[in-house]
Amino acid sequence: MRVLVARDLRKDYPLYGETVHALRGVSLTVEPGEYLAIVGPSGCGKSTLLQLIGGIDTPSSGTVELMGTRLDGLSDRQLTWLRLTRIGFVFQRFHLLPVLTALENVELPMAEAGVGKAGRKARARELLEYVGLGARVRHRATQLSGGEMQRVAIARALANRPALLLADEPTGELDAATGAEILALFRRLNADGVTLVVVTHDERLAAEARRVVPMLDGRVV
Amino acid sequence: MSTALRNLSRHPLRSGLALLGIAVTAALLLDMVMLSGGIERSFERMLLGRGFQIRLAPRGTLPFDTEATIPGMSALAARLRQEPGVEVVAPILGASLHARRGDSLVTLFGYGVDPRAQAMYQLQRGRDLERDDSAGVLLSGAAARVIGAAIGDTVTVVGQLDPQLAAARMERRLVVRGEVRWFYDYQGQASIGTLLPVMQDLARQRTTDRVSAVAIRIREGMSVPAVARRMRAEYPSLEVNSVEDLVAQFRQRLVYFRQLSYILGTISLAVTVLLIGTLLTITVNERLGEIATLRAIGVQRSRVVALMVAEGAVLTLIGTVLGIGLGLVTARYLDRILTSFPGLPAAISFFVPESSSLATAAVVLLASGLLAGTYPAWLAARTPIAETLRSEAT
Repeated sequence: MRVLVARDLRKDYPLYGETVHALRGVSLTVEPGEYLAIVGPSGCGKSTLLQLIGGIDTPSSGTVELMGTRLDGLSDRQLTWLRLTRIGFVFQRFHLLPVLTALENVELPMAEAGVGKAGRKARARELLEYVGLGARVRHRATQLSGGEMQRVAIARALANRPALLLADEPTGELDAATGAEILALFRRLNADGVTLVVVTHDERLAAEARRVVPMLDGRVV
Repeated sequence: MSTALRNLSRHPLRSGLALLGIAVTAALLLDMVMLSGGIERSFERMLLGRGFQIRLAPRGTLPFDTEATIPGMSALAARLRQEPGVEVVAPILGASLHARRGDSLVTLFGYGVDPRAQAMYQLQRGRDLERDDSAGVLLSGAAARVIGAAIGDTVTVVGQLDPQLAAARMERRLVVRGEVRWFYDYQGQASIGTLLPVMQDLARQRTTDRVSAVAIRIREGMSVPAVARRMRAEYPSLEVNSVEDLVAQFRQRLVYFRQLSYILGTISLAVTVLLIGTLLTITVNERLGEIATLRAIGVQRSRVVALMVAEGAVLTLIGTVLGIGLGLVTARYLDRILTSFPGLPAAISFFVPESSSLATAAVVLLASGLLAGTYPAWLAARTPIAETLRSEAT
């Protein structure tokens, strides 16, 4: 089964009295185990596309199917559950909860999904070990460097074993050396079977992907 | 709850100031709750201090409200004791007196009582009067100080003074038997007590056997309102009031206290709601990105709402605990000021701390805290995920 099928996605929104056409009919499929990079200049619609396929925004027209489930028929509660259990998100600015430790940040989606305390602690430790932060589990997000925060965010995204990991400019806030560590981590994740869709400006990150989808002015080109 | 606490600790100064504000409003609310019913309860306790549930006074008066008196007490007492349900009859005569201290006279208030059936005092030191102790006198602490007498001393008590000659018409030398606390005395009031006939002599009320008021204790199991009703019909020249009636009249007189406490209590609640609501709204606006992220990674709207409501509840809970402590301290201080008003019995308290007052204040405050958290929680719940994440990224 295909992980993702997006058909003729369009997204319009009003801005200062005018209509902005952020997406002008984008179709996309993602196969299991794929590593796909969406690239293009700022404002071309790549982040909007990621939000639509991740179910955090709704298209003006077109459909998204994730693991055979059409997102447009789902209630907010069902869509939220689907994001929790089927999709992992990695953001440019990490967006960890600053009052929680690295371990608690990774535990959060599992707690929400109803995983027992012992089970989610063990899984969170395992994931933090995987991303190379086994020694930083008790550190709060504010006590971590940018690269470490992004690795915690990746561990959090993997917590509920998602079918698809979506990353929006994951190296955008990092220096070259730290960005390279994240590239290596993504490569390892994909090698371990994680399906990845990455939106990026970073040519090195795009070069790592097995397939590159270039976008311009709301269209795949 | 622990996440809510940690979120509040992000801005310790802001949260601390908000907590202080909530504590002050909680203290005000608690004080107002105590004030709204406290004086009434304290008045009732004072009246029931020795278990006398009915008071008789001259028609149209309240006990000790005027100088009017009831004649023929001995016959009246004998008749009252025959009434069904009456257990004890305690006549009381109140009069203005003087005592000699060196060459001068000091003014006192005197009570004539029957020590076997009295509703007026509690022995503090020494011993009580005997039923035939016509040479004994009881003093309040203040009376002992102004006369300069101690237990065992002899004091000269002067009854009515002749206004033209400034000479005493009646004078008795009495031995101080004990020091007592008079239930209805104001703070610092110098009062003495003697047997009823002695006081009647001093006040020149003996010939007509007059008293100011009569306290009656009803037998257990008897209905006080029913006995009071029967007495009203039986003794039309007397004003018959049960403690319940007196409390109702007192309540009527002090209705403005209740209104004031309701108004101030409502204001303090409104301030609490605004304080918590404002703080949480600012918090939500600062954390929109975080909230959008939580929603994006699959945290349900209801969980986000619960988180914000929990923060409001934690703030209110801590503020309430601090406020109760502060409220009790301020109530004690305010009570000292209010009970020092002249003419007010010292046994009256305006602020009576009772578990029901504490519980009422705490429940109302917590409900307000939850209410205050609803608007910020609603704001948090309707945070548009994509739009917020877009604006956070730029």
